[in-house]
Amino acid sequence: MRSHITLSPKQLGRAVLVVALGGAVGTLIRDLSSKINLYGGPPRPGVFYLPDWTHQIPWVLLAINTIGVFVATDLLRHRLKHHDPNDPMRLLLVTGFLGGLTSYSGLFVDLAAIWHLTIGGCLLVAAGAILSGLFAGILGLGRHRRKP
Amino acid sequence: MTLFLVTIAGALGCVVRYLFEYGVRRNHPTSRPWATVAANALGTGIAGYAAYRLVGTDQDHIRTIVLTGFCGGLTTFSSALAVPVILQREHHWVYAAALITTTPLLCAGMFVLGMSLAH
Repeated sequence: MRSHITLSPKQLGRAVLVVALGGAVGTLIRDLSSKINLYGGPPRPGVFYLPDWTHQIPWVLLAINTIGVFVATDLLRHRLKHHDPNDPMRLLLVTGFLGGLTSYSGLFVDLAAIWHLTIGGCLLVAAGAILSGLFAGILGLGRHRRKP
Repeated sequence: MTLFLVTIAGALGCVVRYLFEYGVRRNHPTSRPWATVAANALGTGIAGYAAYRLVGTDQDHIRTIVLTGFCGGLTTFSSALAVPVILQREHHWVYAAALITTTPLLCAGMFVLGMSLAH
């Protein structure tokens, strides 16, 4: 297995290109998604009025991150389970595409914005992000479980 | 043009993270998930610095390229949780729990550190 761990310069160059390609597409989709305005304008009081800080919740990024965990778990546990970490398909989809699509730093930038409005709300969103990710991962694990 | 540069920056961030993981895996194969933790911590630290410096300025395009592009590509949420979930399924409970708890705590610390350095 040692040969799979250490790559030749040519193999490493190819791996870098594959990761860059997947990462570029993932980042592009995340950037375009971040422009979606779920509220269609400034928040207004009304029947569905929510506290101001809830309008700062990054719903789109939370959804992307959660779906990303589900797909990554599913791929790593099932379809790509026996592929070595430098397998081009694994590099393209997991390291590149899903790595570029999902973001930990973006989550923290959005959490910082909420922190300025409410610390409790910030901690709630942070816990929600982690727990929803874990739940998605567990769902990804069980999708292909065979029936007895 | 900004969209193109964001995409390139994102690809660059992903490549840095991969090289980080590759370097660790080559020398310490079982420690590979910690490279992802380190990449997330580094990316979040840079994001803290950049957010403090660039938010509220008229440099929106640079902010998007650095935060959404490079830092977004350098950090990953999918592998940060998918790998520990798989590890716990393989009965590596302590390892999985350590990864799950360490990442957000370390990232929070690095984000604050980044902002402090920018202050």
